[in-house]
Amino acid sequence: MSAKRSVRGSLANYLLALIAIFSLNFVLPRMMPGDPLQAIYGQEALVAMTPQMEAALIQKFSLDQPWSSQLYAYISGLFEGDLGYSYYFRDQVSAVILGALPWTLILTGSALILATSLGIVLGMESGYRRGGSLDRGLIAGLIFISGFPDFFVGIVLLLIFGVSLGIAPLYGSITPYSGETGLAYLLDILHHLALPLASLVLVQLGAVYLLTRNTMVVVLKERFVLTARAKGCTDRAVRYRHAGRNSLLPVITATGIRLPQLITGALFIEIVFSYPGVGLLLSTALDARDYPLIQGILLLVTVAVLTANCGVDLLYRRLDPRVRHAR
Amino acid sequence: MVTPGAAMLEIRDLVVSYHGSRVLSDVNLRLEYGDSMAIIGESGAGKTTLGLAIMGFSEGTTSGQICWQGRDLLRLPEEDMRSLRGKVVAMVFQNVEDALNPVLNIHDQVKEAMTVHRNGPGHAASARAFGLLEAVGLDHERAKSFPHQLSGGERQRALIAMALANDPDILILDEPTASLDSVTKGDVIEILRAAASDKISLVITHDISTAASLSKKMAVLYAGTIVEMGRTEDLLKNPRHPYTRGLIRSYPNMTTTKDLQGIPGRMDREADGCPFHRRCTQRTDICSRLPPSMQETNGRLIACHRGGIVPLLKLRGITKSFGQREVLSNVSLTVLEGETLAVVGESGCGKTTLARITIGLCDPDRGDVLFEDETLRVRGLEFYRKVQMIYQNPAESLSHRMSVLDLVREPLDVQRLGGRQEREASVRKALDDVELPSDDRFLARYPHQLSGGEAQRVAIARAMVLQPKLLIADEPTSALDASIQAKILRLLQNLQEKRGLSMLFITHDLALARKVSDRIAVLHRGMLVEEGPASQVVSSPAHPYTRCLLEQAARLDATIGSPGVESSAGRGAAAQDRDRWIGAAAVNR
Ligand code: SF4
Repeated sequence: MSAKRSVRGSLANYLLALIAIFSLNFVLPRMMPGDPLQAIYGQEALVAMTPQMEAALIQKFSLDQPWSSQLYAYISGLFEGDLGYSYYFRDQVSAVILGALPWTLILTGSALILATSLGIVLGMESGYRRGGSLDRGLIAGLIFISGFPDFFVGIVLLLIFGVSLGIAPLYGSITPYSGETGLAYLLDILHHLALPLASLVLVQLGAVYLLTRNTMVVVLKERFVLTARAKGCTDRAVRYRHAGRNSLLPVITATGIRLPQLITGALFIEIVFSYPGVGLLLSTALDARDYPLIQGILLLVTVAVLTANCGVDLLYRRLDPRVRHAR
Repeated sequence: MVTPGAAMLEIRDLVVSYHGSRVLSDVNLRLEYGDSMAIIGESGAGKTTLGLAIMGFSEGTTSGQICWQGRDLLRLPEEDMRSLRGKVVAMVFQNVEDALNPVLNIHDQVKEAMTVHRNGPGHAASARAFGLLEAVGLDHERAKSFPHQLSGGERQRALIAMALANDPDILILDEPTASLDSVTKGDVIEILRAAASDKISLVITHDISTAASLSKKMAVLYAGTIVEMGRTEDLLKNPRHPYTRGLIRSYPNMTTTKDLQGIPGRMDREADGCPFHRRCTQRTDICSRLPPSMQETNGRLIACHRGGIVPLLKLRGITKSFGQREVLSNVSLTVLEGETLAVVGESGCGKTTLARITIGLCDPDRGDVLFEDETLRVRGLEFYRKVQMIYQNPAESLSHRMSVLDLVREPLDVQRLGGRQEREASVRKALDDVELPSDDRFLARYPHQLSGGEAQRVAIARAMVLQPKLLIADEPTSALDASIQAKILRLLQNLQEKRGLSMLFITHDLALARKVSDRIAVLHRGMLVEEGPASQVVSSPAHPYTRCLLEQAARLDATIGSPGVESSAGRGAAAQDRDRWIGAAAVNR
């Protein structure tokens, strides 16, 4: 009963946050001094606009109508997936973003999964062998690497593997005009993904690893570990099922907190590797002052972070019965 | 199953040390099927280390052997030891907050105990886990709960079910009833008793009552060494090692009636010789030099150079008549070092005569008085330095012509102990000990300026200034009112605790005797009708006369403070006799 209520409670929290973001997106341009159309579309777009287009836009946003009609127009626009028109790309913002999104999803998604799972496994093993050579080596190495900013690691990797060794492509997500299909196409994607992914993972890994390792060291001292060993559990069972599963909990929480950081990291990495994802798109939009596109991307990123956090919350609930069955 | 006797757990010369300091030294134990042994001792004595060593969890360096079916568990490769854990040797842990994995439900945790040993198919293990939990009183719904949803008692039950999962041969119970309320504790003990009956069980606890109800044998661990071992019942009723007695005395329970006493000092692992010697009140030179070896007498093992608590005073076949009337007939008693023996009886039963014979105020017609194993014929200065007496009425033992200083110093003067200043320092110390002021103003007072309680304290200080080994107290509080009586009794017990003083406590009041004594002897018409541990005499008196005294005591309790009705010869004679027993030399003065 109470558990369900608290799930509903936290879902409501996420919904509220979402509404707040959309409201801000609606209110801010309209509160700016001067022409709201200028605030929404920016100076340059306005100059390039014909009077007909301007009239059409005013009509579209109901800018000549009272606030309530404007709100209605805004909401119905959102539901149709209408985020506005990108002047730079001469296309709907949603279409432009959708074109870049898969690459970013592949990059950040696999970076998140790889960094987290690798960090957890390394952290558990290292914490279990506390003070051993594996433990000491990993601590030193990963702390060293995670001290650098993402783009720096990216540049170094690019210089070594791309420029000097020439075994990795220098830019892009696929080889243009190669026309490959099937497995060859997939390998080509992976080939292009390798370096940006590696730089993201390398930098993200340290935090997950350290947190898991330190939690593991603490959890191993708890009495239930002795209980588990006393019933004859194998080393593996003690490490993963007992100590490991309990060490996971703070790591999951931290993952939620780490997400925005991962996304900003990806943004820079995409720029370094000219990887055609949302990050590169944002940089282009910033250069071109394509306001609707910038706004659309920021909106998407916020929604993504919120959704991911919500997912982490639900996962935590599954893993920790103390939250699930809170007394 | 294995035939009884064929399989046994034998621990030989087990030594465990961490960072060079010994946590366990030379532990030897032999346990067969059906044996249940309790290991008792203070925290830090090494009890848990012993349990963990048997489980193969020793972290320090170990030597010696833990043998099970011809295999030395200490030398077993980890993988072999792991396969024994939980299957052959299992441990019930204390129900501390984190003893169970917080993210797994308890059914799964119990089930795991079986699946890790591939003990049958998964669904069978699951069913058995539910069965086990049911047997310890956790229904299906509780079984599906997570540890944080359970009470301490329920967690303890779950831990028991887990340990029993593979029907192990050796069951180690580590403080199995700690932090449980008394009803739950009773339930848990019942469950454990039933579970352990066909196994070898080892209960590790500081809780003597739990140990008593779960074991047939008992070993007392002190600073990593077993100091006494024997049958549980005997050992608790008649502890023979000074430490065991102290441990039992300091434990509150329903069967000892004496007020609680602690053991002075702290445990010291690094001590040479007998580990207990710094706290022992009967130590001799050898105790600090050589560790005592384990000696067996009548099925009791004791590690003590002096064979356990030594008898200080023995009365053998004392018979005494005044004219035609036989006051004492064939009375034999023993007072052990550091204990209080109460001699209880109504007036005229001969108890005061017994005290007078002991101190040497009159001679028995027949029988011997032995002090420190020597028959006393003439009592010299030496004797009076070790044996002192206090009377019912302090006014009679304190000369009204002497100041407090003179009164307390007199025994020192007679014994010619120390110089003038040392004597005065001893006087002040003695007054401090009896919780009286020791300033010059008080020292200059005379007995008539003192209250009854103060006067009795001065009398006690006077007796204690020589640091005697035995104090004979003849109705020491019956002339005082109830609250002062309580304080004086408390004081005497403190002195006993601090000094290991033995006391022969003469009283008509069984209720009082019960509170201050370890053992009680009941005298009736000059005959010893009953003798035993205070709790036993009071709770199940064997002689009708004792029962009669008990009824009186209950009534007397209500009107406590009414002065005693003792009309012994001692009362009037006390003042005259005083100088005589202070020392033979005094007679010549
Ligand atoms: S008499 Fe000596 S050996 Fe015995 S307990 Fe006391 S100190 Fe130890």
